Amino acid sequence: MKFPCAAIAGSLLLLAGCGGDRPASTSTLKITGSTTVNPPVAEAADLLREARGWTIHVDTQGGSSGGVAAVGEGRAQLGMASRPLTIKDAAKFPEAQLVTTTIGSDALAIVVSKDVWDGGVKGLTKTQVRDIYESKTTNWKELGGPDQEIVFFNKEPGRGTWEVFAAWAYGGDANAAPPVSHPEVGANAEARTKVASTRGGVTQLSSAWTDGETVFALAVDGTSPTPEAIASGAYPISRPLNLLTDGEPAGMAAEFIEFMLGPEGQALLPAHGYQPLP
Amino acid sequence: MITPRKRATSQWLFWITGACALMAVLMLAGILFSVAIRGLGTIDWAFLTEPMKRGGLEGGIVHHLGGTLILVTTALLIALPLAAGFGITQELYCRRESLKEAMGTAIYLLNGLPSILFGIVGYLVLVKWAGWGKSWLAGGIVLAVMMLPTITVAFVERLRQVPRAQIQAARGLGLSRSQLCWSILLPQASSGLITGSLLGVARAAGETAPILFTAAIFSGATWPDGLRESPVLSLPYHVFVLAQDALDPEAQDRLWGTAAVLLGLVMFLSALALPLRLRIRRHETS
Amino acid sequence: MIRTRPRLDLTRATAGTLALAVLAVLLGMGALFFWQSVPVWKSEGIGGFLTGKQWFYRHERYGLWTMLFGTGAVALIAMLVAVPLGLGAAIFTSEFLSPKTRLVVKALVELLAGVPSVVYGLLGVLLLRNWIYEGLDLRTGDTLLTGGILLGIMVLPTVMTLCDDALQAVPARFRRAARGLGLTRQETILHAVLPQARSAILASILLGFGRATGETIAVFLVIGRQDNRSPDFSALVSPGQTLTSKLGGSELNIAYGDSLHWGAMMGVASVLLLISILVTVGGRRLLRRP
Repeated sequence: MKFPCAAIAGSLLLLAGCGGDRPASTSTLKITGSTTVNPPVAEAADLLREARGWTIHVDTQGGSSGGVAAVGEGRAQLGMASRPLTIKDAAKFPEAQLVTTTIGSDALAIVVSKDVWDGGVKGLTKTQVRDIYESKTTNWKELGGPDQEIVFFNKEPGRGTWEVFAAWAYGGDANAAPPVSHPEVGANAEARTKVASTRGGVTQLSSAWTDGETVFALAVDGTSPTPEAIASGAYPISRPLNLLTDGEPAGMAAEFIEFMLGPEGQALLPAHGYQPLP
Repeated sequence: MITPRKRATSQWLFWITGACALMAVLMLAGILFSVAIRGLGTIDWAFLTEPMKRGGLEGGIVHHLGGTLILVTTALLIALPLAAGFGITQELYCRRESLKEAMGTAIYLLNGLPSILFGIVGYLVLVKWAGWGKSWLAGGIVLAVMMLPTITVAFVERLRQVPRAQIQAARGLGLSRSQLCWSILLPQASSGLITGSLLGVARAAGETAPILFTAAIFSGATWPDGLRESPVLSLPYHVFVLAQDALDPEAQDRLWGTAAVLLGLVMFLSALALPLRLRIRRHETS
Repeated sequence: MIRTRPRLDLTRATAGTLALAVLAVLLGMGALFFWQSVPVWKSEGIGGFLTGKQWFYRHERYGLWTMLFGTGAVALIAMLVAVPLGLGAAIFTSEFLSPKTRLVVKALVELLAGVPSVVYGLLGVLLLRNWIYEGLDLRTGDTLLTGGILLGIMVLPTVMTLCDDALQAVPARFRRAARGLGLTRQETILHAVLPQARSAILASILLGFGRATGETIAVFLVIGRQDNRSPDFSALVSPGQTLTSKLGGSELNIAYGDSLHWGAMMGVASVLLLISILVTVGGRRLLRRP
């Protein structure tokens, strides 16, 4: 007699929750993904919550790849990604039709700590960056800087920032990046904190997240990531800030995207250091 | 006879272990102190009742408090009957000692498992397979499983103290086991359930790993609006996320304030359980 | 004698069902992890997965060795911190303090055992990490050592309380007999009480060790999360990775769609579960020994 009771109770509970993977109520907008795209999107969400009384949930677990996965699996209506979609993404989620809407762009910088910047390293070439990544160069003095071991904080390979970096450094294909061993950081905030607090620290980070006081963006192949250089395309490493949907945007997701593409939404981007759409 | 030389050198154990005890207490008290001095300044009525703004840099933690309370209350409601059932079965209905042993070991095992594993199971079964998405109920269920050993152990401890004479008298009067359970055992051992619940809730309130994948998000959730797809904000998760951006001066105040509120809540609940536990201990020795 | 014997004892049925539910959860967890992790065992082989030094999910290489080393090293360092202090403190509270004072101190310490791990993690990130970074002049403050020390402080209350219980459990007659023979308090403790409490103390250490291996949040924040580092002595003062810090990271979110990657993550969970069970059962066995 015990087992049927338990079985019935258990299945009732599960049935209450079952109903496929589609998000439950269409009155809640769920947005997940990149910590780079997050600041303007979160602020837009705040504004829309106040103005239109929407319920919007914003999460950043898993970064860009987490955003792709969330949309692919139907857990969120909007995914935030700071990199373009790849064939691998589409292959991983064959039932979903991943559609990209770009809301702005951002420059990816190689960011160093204060002691490295003050010690004379203001820029690197792509080859030098690759050597650091592959641990072939291990001390800043080899690059004209202070006598300090290089501590490279690698962004987790699932992060959009990492993929853009790897694609740039290895001829356009992130998968060509060799396996390396470095301490890892997840969110942009963590990357900045670790570099700022470690002598000789360097990481891949959105240029919008540097403050010029504790962490500094290096020039790459001669070009510094100034707003002009980024806007004109002279700075080589830039990436789109994307919102992803399953199929063409509809409902609340479409309205949100419309807001982001409109004047109010676009104004949020420079406020957080990013580039609005041209 | 104790010679003078013995007396003089026989003190070193006292001093060394005394130093250990002092260091231990100081270290631990230091933790409470560090959080208190950094965080108490941020706490005021507004902090506790306002919603979060600007990603945690401004505003308060009302939804985080609410989320944490929702999670632990749900967990308690689930865990309490389970713990009571387990305890009663183990002490009242198990005829064989080996079975009792096995049940005790099972609870022991459950208690020792890393909390992240519960979170992962919850993620797989509830968030993914059952399609609940991140929800307060999923978090509550996972926390309930974690709370279970704490409540059960406290309950069983108290159960075993019910005087044999009473039980024998009741059986002698013809009471069946279930009547024994409801009219004698449960009322008497209820203090064990209460103690265990307080301790279990204190523990669950502070846990981050179980709700990391099952219930908590960083921003946007206010109050849950249904069973599924309704995550919550929570105090420990908030601290966890902000701790990774710990150098941002704007975030620091809020960070310490949240940590202080969390710590205060947990300490308060644990402290509530103390007088009850002392009473149970005195029962034991009498 | 009046005996009411209903055909269906509802209380027994309910209580029994609930008890079974609990056991089902335990077994279910183990089964789930092992079943889900099958792809990685197939791909890397049992030995290959356990001893593989490389973890590159983009290149589909999975190996646990660095993480096993990390988990072990961190837990061991934690014990080096927690056991001397905890056992010493426990000897003091159990043998030198009056019963009333002992209860007060014990209550305080148990209260502190409830401090959430995220608070430890916070203090680790903001304080301990810097002390070790500056104090030992390392490359970075996120190291296995940092994690170990932080964990040591975390499990200290647990070790202390359990050791105190172990010492208290030694019957009074041993102490009385020793005193009767003319031993000083110190000699009594060292030669009569401690030997009797030995297996219970070992159990306490083992349980503390188990707690240390299972902690996720505090370790995640201060350990550096670096895979693929060769386990050697310098690794102790370098960033590393443990089984728990791997599970607490973001790979779990992105691994779900990929059966091999997910299998690898479940493999990590399975191994962690196994270690935890072994340590806990071992501890319980030791406690039961007379």
